[in-house]
Amino acid sequence: MKKKSFNCILCPLSCRIKVILDNNTIKSIKGYKCPRGKEYIIQEITNPVRILTTTIRLVDSKQKLVSVKTDKPIPKNLLLDAMNYLAQIEVRPPIEIGQILVENLLDTGANIIATTKIER
Amino acid sequence: MKTRTIDLAIIGGGPAGLAAAVRAYELGLRDIIVFERDNRLGGILPQCIHNGFGLHYFGEELTGPEFVFRFIDKIKKYNIETQLNTMVIEVNKNHELITVNAYEGIVKYKSKAIIFAVGCRERTRSAIQIPGSRPAGIYTAGTAQRMINIEGYLPGKEIVILGSGDVGLIMARRFTLEGAKVKAVLEIMKYPGGLARNVSQCLEDFDIPLLLQHTIVNIEGKDRVKSVTIAKVDDSWNPIPNTEQKISCDTVILSVGLIPENELASQANVEINHATGGAFVNEWMETNAPGIFECGNALAVFDLVDYVVQNAERAAEGAYKYIHNEIPSQKIKVTHDETIRFVIPNRVSGNHSNRFYLRVTKPMENVILEIPEISLKVRYEHVTPSEMISIKLRDRIIQRTENKLTFKIIKQEE
Amino acid sequence: MFLKDLPDTADIVIIGGGVIGCSIARELSRYKLNIVLLEKNPDIAWGTTKANLGMVHAFVTPIKSLKGKLCLKGNEMFDELSKQLDVEFNRPGLILVALTHRQNLMRFVVYIWAKKNKIPVKWISRKWLLKEEPNINRHVKGGLLFPTAGIISPYEFTIALAENAIENGVKIYLDTEVKNINKDQGGLEVETNRGKIKTKYVINAAGVYADKIANMVGIDNFKIYPRSGTMLIFDKQLKGHYKHIYSLIPAKVDPRTKGGGAAFTTEGNLIWGPNLREINDKEDRSVTREDIELVFKKFSQIFPSVRKKDIIRFFAGIRAAANGGDFIIGTTKVKGFINVAGIQSPGLTASPAIAKMIVEILKRDGLEMPEKRFIPTRKRITRFAEATIEEKSRLIEMNPKYGHIICRCEYVSEAEIIEAIKRGATTIDGIKFRTRAGMGRCQGGFCTTRIIEILSRELKMDPLNIRKNSKESYVLCCETKSLRRN
Repeated sequence: MKKKSFNCILCPLSCRIKVILDNNTIKSIKGYKCPRGKEYIIQEITNPVRILTTTIRLVDSKQKLVSVKTDKPIPKNLLLDAMNYLAQIEVRPPIEIGQILVENLLDTGANIIATTKIER
Repeated sequence: MKTRTIDLAIIGGGPAGLAAAVRAYELGLRDIIVFERDNRLGGILPQCIHNGFGLHYFGEELTGPEFVFRFIDKIKKYNIETQLNTMVIEVNKNHELITVNAYEGIVKYKSKAIIFAVGCRERTRSAIQIPGSRPAGIYTAGTAQRMINIEGYLPGKEIVILGSGDVGLIMARRFTLEGAKVKAVLEIMKYPGGLARNVSQCLEDFDIPLLLQHTIVNIEGKDRVKSVTIAKVDDSWNPIPNTEQKISCDTVILSVGLIPENELASQANVEINHATGGAFVNEWMETNAPGIFECGNALAVFDLVDYVVQNAERAAEGAYKYIHNEIPSQKIKVTHDETIRFVIPNRVSGNHSNRFYLRVTKPMENVILEIPEISLKVRYEHVTPSEMISIKLRDRIIQRTENKLTFKIIKQEE
Repeated sequence: MFLKDLPDTADIVIIGGGVIGCSIARELSRYKLNIVLLEKNPDIAWGTTKANLGMVHAFVTPIKSLKGKLCLKGNEMFDELSKQLDVEFNRPGLILVALTHRQNLMRFVVYIWAKKNKIPVKWISRKWLLKEEPNINRHVKGGLLFPTAGIISPYEFTIALAENAIENGVKIYLDTEVKNINKDQGGLEVETNRGKIKTKYVINAAGVYADKIANMVGIDNFKIYPRSGTMLIFDKQLKGHYKHIYSLIPAKVDPRTKGGGAAFTTEGNLIWGPNLREINDKEDRSVTREDIELVFKKFSQIFPSVRKKDIIRFFAGIRAAANGGDFIIGTTKVKGFINVAGIQSPGLTASPAIAKMIVEILKRDGLEMPEKRFIPTRKRITRFAEATIEEKSRLIEMNPKYGHIICRCEYVSEAEIIEAIKRGATTIDGIKFRTRAGMGRCQGGFCTTRIIEILSRELKMDPLNIRKNSKESYVLCCETKSLRRN
């Protein structure tokens, strides 16, 4: 039996959630203040995921980079691979907030969308 | 020299200034100008490409640029006048401002009301007197963030970060994602300076060591940073002898505090509260100089931009009321004991509901926030200086007192 | 402004682009001579010169030493020189105060000594001090005023000297290091990383490396013992905290150092220091916690309400002290090789007098020095921050870039930065020392990225090649995506 503590990252309350594990099976979860917190912990233990926020290079633009994010969380262990992949990409203006710049990043089902508006 | 008379001058086009401008417009003010010294609106947010903004205000989790664009869009929609690349170089208590930009040169404005929304600057290496040499490669976190996220350059490859506030933590992750190696994040206190969620997502996720009760005691390197010497510190922040270690690195990132920018406001005789670094204000964010308001990080360093925006809207409401001669007497003094570092605002009228923002002096568990004059007790499971507390009090609750509100933190008896 | 291709020959090669080298260069440019100045760093004034309190001393002891005499001579020359070079210079006077009984007794001794040596001095009462300086330690017993003491910005002064020297025909080479000097057919041949140059005279003004340069021609009768000194600069909000330069009456007359002072820069920032610490490494400009403590403790005795948290910058400079403690100026056993070594305090004060002395030395050595047309004046970069409102308007009308403020703390405009680049700045600090951009309370936090952009644009340089000040001091590492692109 193993005891583990997590900080829930979903909102600034940062609830400290205590979990008792038996061989990766969850025996009990305590400390969450909302159901999303409970779901988050289960996810953290079985398949931790993260939203990736980063930038992509711009060409033909007055600006050098456009800020982006994944529209869904992706597996934590793919974050650095995603960064390697995105380092090769270049995009052009005009770009709207929410516009999909890369579809289905590394087969995760998540898209990379712009978080800044680039006019030119 | 050109002179113009306007209703409302807002100094600063970041989230505070923009939110204030939008609210002022929605209340009916029209002759509004937002003065912004950078070449675009948004303040610091366009370089804050990470998540965590807007949970309270919009009910959604947004990145910095997404958050601020919602205000920039409203500014455009309402056609509120903004002047970019424009710096306010003088302000006086008679509501006169002098601005400078390349197109119009020097222009004098007389404004019915002025809102300072100028934000803050970062504390420097010199200000905390870190000994050692002065090579290239020492940057404050915000400067490094701008280099990476806007200019497109990494300042270095092997990083040591001093300060575990949110900015430092966010940068630890950013550097790592872009391929640099963050060797350690050092924190002089016993507890991390930023939100727990950021410690998880920025350090634990990437196995970046967090060394609590440590600081940098020397920086080495002739032309460029070569290494830092770190040491453990005691509770009074004094380095403990024989705990020194060297960490080789080419970059030192400092995240050691933000200082509200009030040099300009001081010109207008605005009285500054040394506990916050910002002005003393009443419930409308009006400073001691009538018709001069302050909001956002210039007033106090806020953790969440959501609070900045609420605060800025309040300042805009205040400016509106001031212009219409509607600000009531602020007879109730807001004060606190030594368990609390500051409370904003510093005076209220009792006629309105108010949102109070405060920070405690040290981390505590199971406490009660008490205001004895109005018999208010609120329970908190844990409080810490790095997490600002925001509490709204209804007017009729405030009215239980005639002249004073004293905020205290009491340890709850089991 | 600065050149790249070394000529094959020169009449005089000056090694070292500090205040001494540049003073000599400017003085020699009055004559029909080919003068070359070599500086190993990317900018002039980079060594001892820039990290200096900026005091133009009323006197130094021993009064009859070479440095003592040159100090008095040089001091008198600053009013005219600063006007010609359009560099700010003030004479607030130095007041040595007595806080303890012992210092008060020494006050009398120093007063008599000054009178005997004909140094202008005034006896200052406690009453006068308390009235004159509301912020002074209320226990002060009295003082001595030396009215000829002044302040100047050492790097502004040196940059002005260099600009004026160049205007008058001197060729200055940066990033040029002397590797060897050989005797060559009655003259000397100087070998550098940019090539060789044959010359009649070499003037060794190489600061902390003067002994190394002298060794190249077999002269080893002196050694430079570097000594570091830390300076503290305070927030401009304290401008006017006191009106004169202050120090303490010494317990004894120490020939090594007067112990610095609580002064202010020509901008008004308070500046305290230096202390004195022997170092082993000629380039060790590090500051220790003790250095900061010593300087702060010493002068907060005089002005107790100044706080440590008002410090916006600290740095250390290195004194190029020779064994013996005095200046070593003159011809040597090697024909054509002239030493100007061991120039520690009062180097800055003595610099104009040293330059004149070199002219005499060259004449006595037989060098023909016909005079030529000489332009003695040079204009500073017009500063937006110093202009009146009307002048500011005019500046912007003439050049809109004066209306684009880059350094927010010091109100430095893009026009000034571009002018600094025109005048030879290629580094972040080169801009800083010519315009003040980066010297404010945020210490470049806001403007550094913008200055990198402007330098890159104006010099058509890749930002990755931009340096802070010295050889390998690159400010950036690589492009954001390059570490992940495999």
